[in-house]
Amino acid sequence: MISLIGFFSLCLSTIFSFVLLMPSSILYMKIKYFLFIFRSSTILVCISFLSLILAYVTSDFSNFNVFQNSHSDKPLIYKITGAWGNHEGSILFWICMISIYGFLYSLISKSINDFKIIVLKIQSALFLIFALFVIFTSNPFLVNSVLVKEGLGLNPILQDPALAIHPPVLYLGYVGFSLVFSIAIASLLRDNLDQEWIRETRKWSMISWGFLTAGIALGSFWAYYELGWGGWWFWDPVENISLMPWIAGLALVHSLLMIRGEQVIEKWIVFLSILCFSLSILGTFLVRSGILTSVHSFASDASRGLFILLIFFLTTGFGFLVFLIKSPSKKNDLNLLLINKTSALLINNILMMIAVLTILLGTIYPIIIEVLTNTRISVGGPYFNSTVLPILLPGFLLMSIAPALSWQTNKIKKFKIYVISFLVLSCIVALHSYFTNFNSWGFIGLILSTWIIIASIISIVLRYKFSPTMQYIKSINSFIAHIGVGVMIIGITFSSIYQKEYNFNIAVGEEVTVDNQVLKLEKIQIIEEKNYQSLKANFSLEKKDRIISYIEPGKNYYPVSKMITTEAGIYHDWFKDIYITLGNENNNIWFIRVYINPLVSFIWFGFFIMIFSSVITVIKK
Amino acid sequence: MRKIVLIIPLILLTTVCLFFLLFILFEKDPNNPPSALLNKKLPVFSSTSLYNNKESLDSDSLKDKYTLINFFASWCAPCRAEHHLFFEIKKEKPELFILGFSHKDDPNDSKKYLEEKGDPYSFVGIDQDGKIAFEFGVFGLPETFIINSDGQIIFKHIGQLTKEIIDNEITNLF
Repeated sequence: MISLIGFFSLCLSTIFSFVLLMPSSILYMKIKYFLFIFRSSTILVCISFLSLILAYVTSDFSNFNVFQNSHSDKPLIYKITGAWGNHEGSILFWICMISIYGFLYSLISKSINDFKIIVLKIQSALFLIFALFVIFTSNPFLVNSVLVKEGLGLNPILQDPALAIHPPVLYLGYVGFSLVFSIAIASLLRDNLDQEWIRETRKWSMISWGFLTAGIALGSFWAYYELGWGGWWFWDPVENISLMPWIAGLALVHSLLMIRGEQVIEKWIVFLSILCFSLSILGTFLVRSGILTSVHSFASDASRGLFILLIFFLTTGFGFLVFLIKSPSKKNDLNLLLINKTSALLINNILMMIAVLTILLGTIYPIIIEVLTNTRISVGGPYFNSTVLPILLPGFLLMSIAPALSWQTNKIKKFKIYVISFLVLSCIVALHSYFTNFNSWGFIGLILSTWIIIASIISIVLRYKFSPTMQYIKSINSFIAHIGVGVMIIGITFSSIYQKEYNFNIAVGEEVTVDNQVLKLEKIQIIEEKNYQSLKANFSLEKKDRIISYIEPGKNYYPVSKMITTEAGIYHDWFKDIYITLGNENNNIWFIRVYINPLVSFIWFGFFIMIFSSVITVIKK
Repeated sequence: MRKIVLIIPLILLTTVCLFFLLFILFEKDPNNPPSALLNKKLPVFSSTSLYNNKESLDSDSLKDKYTLINFFASWCAPCRAEHHLFFEIKKEKPELFILGFSHKDDPNDSKKYLEEKGDPYSFVGIDQDGKIAFEFGVFGLPETFIINSDGQIIFKHIGQLTKEIIDNEITNLF
């Protein structure tokens, strides 16, 4: 019954969006009715998604999707998240988001009605395409033809709180770019516009980018805790796929800053808007078609792959075609000087585009090679580390001073202070590197990150008098974001370059020494949880004969899906994480791997600052 | 010149899509991931009969004959749909040993199911906890394997069998 309601409202909503796409010569609608139909369509698709969630919550195994992905023993929270933990449900969630973004736009936008209608029409067209995809290839409301009492369970690796909210947040980011796309295309289709659409693009791209950042952060956080590989970023194809729209979005957000300098490169903004959404769909395509194998692979299906490929081709092709035919011809006189803000932003955009292309090449290169030569290769960390990082370095250098540059002139205010502090800083970092173990990447990372932070702080101090108002926080917001990046680079540099790894074989009661601290394996115990069995090792961490903390790495065994997952045990403080994973047992001797990860918390803190800053941008003055 | 720059994204897009398309078309149907067990030895197992809990069958006794192994359950709809085909296989290849495993199913439900639909199997083993299926790397129900007389897995199919698969892929295996 629930499934029927869900499917019915999904179909009805699809029909509504089809009606909205009728040209006004066939079906003339007043704006009032147009908006009414659009909003009803959104409400219907939400009802559809809610009924899927309800089916999961009530463990309604007459729904095939619930039967395959849920189990009545699962805790309520994972029953709910099960709704988007599978292909069908997550695509339904995806189209729900497309519609909701349109809905919010229709409420908030101050554009003229004609423009609004075009944007919403494009949004409905996107909705329609994806909705047809759901109905024909990925219907989550299929009825289970046989009566069953129990479901087949959710992938246990997905039963983790960070992961429960990671996909929806990431989707909010991906799908947000659909609205940016619609606005960009609408701006091409309508001539003689004021600049309202640029302000709207700025707002929505910032929202999408913020969600995307949060989604990526949550995903890394999960990988760090759950996968037990000791790292948080693996250049996994699916990570790369989320990184590409993220960087493109970053370029877009920065280009839109030029609106303050009143030199808008409309063409470039439109191009980036189209690109961001294309890269988002590309990501969906690559994950859902099963072309790339990674931890994120869903059960794949060739017809689905073809369908999404078609969607990707049509949407992106349409976008670029309109861009080709109707590209804005307004001449832009950019005020490019040697070092003013405009040229800094331009260089930053170019660097970001090169980075996106490099990542794209690395990600799809195995596919191209396999088609051409029929051999399978894999492109991994070494390629990305040695190509993407050097491209980003000049960008980081620029970023430290860019907000302090002026729009109109070549001068930097209080130039001397910057130079002196840079020199002092270089000396300190050089000394630090000299007395610790020197590593050239470590040196570069450290000097760049501290320089970004210090230059931003200097700019904040020099330019403004402190007053705790929203106005003030908004005015220093770009510096805050950059400090976030700096903090994150410190974390990345230290946790990757100064990471230490130890392997031990240890029996219960034995001790090992790691970095002046003593780890003792106190006991091994098996705990029966509601839907899994958990094997936990209990380590005590002693420093100077005092127990500081207990660390509990373990393994979980999920009887329903017969999977074993590794749970890393982590001890945090601000400066380092002690990260233990439990390996195999042999004659009561356990193999353990211990990582000392310095300054990992800085990465999460950096992410947090960036997200905070994007929230500040979006909030109204 | 300006237009050429604008065409570049379209050209890039088309090329990339073309490669993706070729990739999808070249690939084998991802519905049937080749089993890691294909051409490997039959896993070791032992199972009791559905009808008589004193009677049992283990992997050693399958030597020197071709065996078809089918995992089924009474709750599985595609299993019902393919069930009649096993009678046809039996008619065509009377020497083939057809081994059925009642997978994660109540034995009484399985018995009822086989009473209702007929029992084409030479032996029906119980795999109520799914351990045997786990050994075989079973992906989903139904799933069918064929073992040759050397005890090697030579065929695997995930999902419902059809007449075409039997005619084109199974009957010419031996």
